[in-house]
Order: sequence, then structure tokens, then C-alpha cells
Amino acid sequence: MSREVSNNEARDAIMQSIRAHLAASPRLESASVSLIPHDDTGANYQPATGASDLKMFCERLESVGGHCVIVRDEDEAARALARIVSELQARDGASRIALSDAALVSRLTRDVAAEQLEVCPQVSDLFSYDAGVTMAQAGIAETGTLILEAEKERHRLVSLLPPVHIAVVRAQDICPTIGDALKRLRGDGESGMSRAITFITGPSRTADIELTLTIGVHGPKELHVIVMDSEPEAKNVLRR
Amino acid sequence: MNHLTAETFDSNARAALNDSQLRGALRHATSLFGKRRLAAARSLNNWEDLRSEARRIKDETLLHLDKYLTEFTANAENAGARIHWARDAAEANNLVKKIARQNAARLVVKSKSMTTEEIHLNAALEAEGIEALETDLGEYIVQLAGETPSHIIAPAIHKTRHQIAKLFTEKLAIPPTDDIATLTITARRVLRQKFAAAEIGVSGVNFGVAETGTILILENEGNIRLTTSLPRTHIAVMGIEKVIPRFADLEMFLKLLPRSGTGQHLTSYQSLITGTKRSPDQEGPEELHIILLDNGRSRMLAHPTTRQSLACIRCGACLNACPVYQQIGGHAYGSVYPGPIGAVITPQLIGLSKAAKLPYASSLCGACREVCPVKIDIPELLLHLRAEITRNAEGGENKPDIAPRRAEQLAFKIWAAIMTRPRWYEFSASLARLLQRLVVRGNRIGKVGGFIGAMAPPLAAWTGARDLRPVEKKSFRQQWRESGRSPTVREGA
Repeated sequence: MSREVSNNEARDAIMQSIRAHLAASPRLESASVSLIPHDDTGANYQPATGASDLKMFCERLESVGGHCVIVRDEDEAARALARIVSELQARDGASRIALSDAALVSRLTRDVAAEQLEVCPQVSDLFSYDAGVTMAQAGIAETGTLILEAEKERHRLVSLLPPVHIAVVRAQDICPTIGDALKRLRGDGESGMSRAITFITGPSRTADIELTLTIGVHGPKELHVIVMDSEPEAKNVLRR
Repeated sequence: MNHLTAETFDSNARAALNDSQLRGALRHATSLFGKRRLAAARSLNNWEDLRSEARRIKDETLLHLDKYLTEFTANAENAGARIHWARDAAEANNLVKKIARQNAARLVVKSKSMTTEEIHLNAALEAEGIEALETDLGEYIVQLAGETPSHIIAPAIHKTRHQIAKLFTEKLAIPPTDDIATLTITARRVLRQKFAAAEIGVSGVNFGVAETGTILILENEGNIRLTTSLPRTHIAVMGIEKVIPRFADLEMFLKLLPRSGTGQHLTSYQSLITGTKRSPDQEGPEELHIILLDNGRSRMLAHPTTRQSLACIRCGACLNACPVYQQIGGHAYGSVYPGPIGAVITPQLIGLSKAAKLPYASSLCGACREVCPVKIDIPELLLHLRAEITRNAEGGENKPDIAPRRAEQLAFKIWAAIMTRPRWYEFSASLARLLQRLVVRGNRIGKVGGFIGAMAPPLAAWTGARDLRPVEKKSFRQQWRESGRSPTVREGA
């Protein structure tokens, strides 16, 4: 892992060049532009405040071609999941469903009648799966975005390789804004932040041929999100 | 088409202007992107504040670039990334080649990256016998065709579906089709096998966060997720100006970049990668190499005007807004970076003498400045570079060039003297009215009787492509006086 001498040389030369050119620059602007501190830096993120954020999350997600269903508890979530899978079976003949290693995902797919349910299949095999089911660790209401943290769950490839991605997210994990979500991610500290984090907003898309929107170029062509909102009434009361 | 250079800009542009298919495609693309950008910007009520704040963050970073790069590299290394430095394109390519050799790589999958286009990485790898495959659909099409990207955001904007269909039929042996979905699925199928086989994934970087050592890459297709997840080694090539101070700063750039680029509120995917995985049994690459590229960037720090160039976040909004780009497209610039931002970056990267035409590829209308999400004053930069080109020419031995310039200076001095003195102005206008009788035919000054053509060459250039309206028979001031109206503005009405 020792860094090579030649590369140190390049580093020093570039740093030297940066410093020399900055020093040569006429100071027409104020000598230093200082950063305005962000209102806070810690774990003090804003959680979703209720029905309106949830509504916005679903609206934004659907506006980019995702599908959203809100359920109250695990039983309802399991039923919603089974319905999505049986629709896929009827429509595409989907039979192979890949699961992430999240315990909740396994619980929710107990009743799914697929010929093959497999937790984190081999990568080479995963290419031929019809759908992948994962959790999302957080969401963003203003953009309809899912956040997948790779160290909380093994879902990096299950969410990416199959043509359909089904994700489960808890309503209380949906943050109102991108800024809130970034604070939440940072709030876990250096050791807590996953080394790989993926933001997902809708299915894979391209417009590279004649600017015509085409869905599902490299990633999933279909995204289903099941939001588990365990206490919808309580939150509505709190908002009053 | 493939080997245009910035030096032949004039003839490139002329050829592009005669390509009606290209111009139709450009008209469609640039107006659509423009409309979407505007709608997306209006979806936020603090767009102008965001632009100012983003620029402020970029300025702060650039004024202390050494400090933030030190912080970024230390944090990325702590998280397991290996940092490499490249002074120029050759050094960067050598680093990639060396890592490829260490990995015994035969196949490298690439996600879209302007920086790797800038260093011509594909050619360098191919010279080593390593296949470098573009995986972004637009880049893939352009690579199959043996061409170069013509737009920062939409690389194959210059090609029709028919051309792409023909290309796929020839190169990928698919049955003839004009269906865009079929073409897209074909690319998906072919490229998936490559993703599975590649030893190395090469990506660019949109933002590098000093505070955490994180790199963030945005996309819509999912090929960046594949490139950075499947191969055992990930190489990220990053310009030194891509660093930003804090993780929280990502918020405004995530709001500005997609809206300015494609008019989306957020692109489909963002990959935030901090070093390597903590334990071998996790998913993702074993190694992350970050190559920090200077290649002429640090030079731009030396002046506040040129320093602005380094604030660019490569959204492509200035291309779509530019009346010159709208007509000629990206290839005519003969450089990796086209459009207004290309016209200012290219001469600074490859040298003024090699791209001396580009700073003149603009009418200075200011549309680029209006749309830039980080408020880069591109017209100011263009003028700065033009002044430098002129200074270089005067300093050189090209004495013959100086005479017309002196004449031009004199002409403008006389013009200024006349325009600032009402009496002189009225006198010269009546003189012009008198003299134009010699050349006006049918209320036009055209190429009549050789009069105009025989005039000094700079004026002939004007009438070469258009007719000049003659001076009106009576000036506005004269008409006003004759109308007998009082020169005061009426109140109310």
C-alpha cells in the first residue's frame, strides 16, 4: 500500500502549482470568501412530519414513473407485496424473485408464491432474476427518492440487476428534503455512514436516442415502493 | 467528422451549417432542454439564492484548493481509497494502465465522464490492448460509430434513430428496426455481458466531499451503479476542481445540477462512495483508486476571471442556451468541451494558439451567463481570452497583423467621438445620406456596380452575407422637429 515516489512528486508539483497560481492572483475580490455555516451539523435532522410529506413522497415518485402503495403494518405490506408479485407473474411470467438479506424482507415474502425465492443469489445468477425485493433505509419526500445504505443491508445488487425493484420503506424514515436526508446520513458519524450509499428516484431511464424517454436501460425498468405507515392517525393528530 | 480540431473551427462551423439534419436535431434538443430547465428552476422559489450560494461555495473551495484537496485525500485514504495524482493526461492514462496491468485486466467498462474524454483514455487503453467500453447509451452509440460526443449531457444528440438503427444492425447483427425501445434493450443486453466480465470500472466524479472523502456521481441509466458495483476494481478520474468542502453542501448542487442539465428535480440515481467496503464479504469493489487530474487546471487559479472556469459543474445548460451552439452543435468546436464553456475552457487547457478561434465563437449575448447554475460570467471570460490573444499577437513578430488593428482602433475612436457629440452625429448622418445616393438602388445597398465590393475588406465581409439597410431619408430628430411637438414627455395619459 506504500505510495510511490513518482506519485508524491506529481502531488507536490500540483500542490505547488495551486499555491503559486493562487498567490499570483490579483485579489480583486475580498481576500477570503467564508462559508456560511449550515444551520446545524449534527444528527438533528428533520424527520417527516406526517401525511403531507408522505403524500408528496408518493406524488413525486409517481411523477417519475414509480409506483407507490401505503400500508399500515407488516400484514398489509406482505399482502401488497404478494399482489405485486402475482401481477408480475401473470404479466411477464416472473418466477424468480431475489431478496436482500433484511429480516423484514424475508418476513414479508413468507406467503409469496414464486417458484424461486432466493436471498442474495450469486451475482452471475442474479442477472436472470425477474425481480428484487429490498428495504430502503430512508426516503426523501420532496423528490420521491429512496436511500439505500449498503452497510445496513445487502441490497446493492438485488436492487440493481433484476428488471423490477420492489422496495419497502418505513414512513418515519422519509425526510422532507434532500438536506434533511444528508444530515441524517451524516448524523451517524464517520463510522456509521455506509461506504456506499445509493439514491434511487424512479426507474432507470435514458433519452439518448432522439431525446425520447425510454425506461429501463441499464437498471430496473420498474420500481414499486411499499411505504409502511404504522401510525397514520397519531401523526395527523400531532400536526394539529 | 471525427478528427475536427479547434484550429479549423471556421470550416467546421460552415460544414455544420450546411447539415440540415444536424440543425433540425439541434433545434429540437436545445429548445427542449431549455424549456425543461426553465420549468425545473421555477419549481424552486429560491433559485437565484441557490446559484449565488453554490458559486460562493465554489469560490471558497478554489481560493483554498490546496487545503480542501489535502482534507479530501486524507479522508478518502482513511476510508480505504488509494489516491493518485496526475499532472497531465499522459500521467493519468499511465496510472490507469498501470492499475489495469496490476489487475490483469482485458476489459474496462466506463461510465460517462468528460474528464476521461479530455485525457483520451480509451485510445490510451486500446493501445495497450485493453478494451475500453463506454456503457452510457449515448456514449456507447458514439463509440460504436467511431465518433466523439457532441453534447455534455446528450452525447449522441447529432444522430437520428435511423442512423443508430443502421449502426446497430451492422455492428451488433440485430434485425433492422427503427424502434427506440428495441434499440435500447439491445444495448442493455449486449452491455450486461460486458459488465459481468469486466475487471475494472472507470467512472468520473461530479463532486468530491473534503469533509468525508466521499465521491458522488449522478446518472439516469444505472450504468454508473453497475460500473461502480460489479468489477473488482473501481477507478474514478476526478479533476482537482471537483472538491467541495462539506457533505451538506451536496444539497444545493443536487438541486442545481439535474435541473440545469436535464430539467429533472433529481436524476434517477446518485452513487455516494466513500472509500472501499469495510469487510470483504460485503458487495462492491475490492479497490477504489481516485486519480486527481490537474492538466492545466491549477493555471486557471492565477486570475479571478479565469478562476471562474473551475466553478463549472458540467451541466450543459450554456450549450442549450447558446445561439452559436444551437446552429453548429458540438463537433464544430473541435474540442472535448463544446459550447460557451468549451470556448473558454478549451483554450485554457490546450493553449490559446491551438484554439484561438473559440473565444470568438460567440456573439456575447450573455445567455450562457443567465442560465449558468454557478453564475460563471462566460462573456467576461471570452473577452479576457480575446484580449490575451490580441496581446500575444502584438507581442509576436506578426507585424503585418498590427496595421489593420491600428486602423480598427482609429475607426472606433472616430466612431466614439461622433457618437458622443450630437452636432457631429447629425452632420455625419447627413453626409452619409448624401453619399449613399451613389450606392443605393431600390432602397437597398447591395452588391451594386462593384461599389461595396470595392470597399475595404472589413466592410465587404458585412455585405457578403446580408444586405445593408440604407440610412433613412430623415432622421428621427428631424422628424420630431418637423412634427412641431414639444420635446417634453407628457404626464399621465
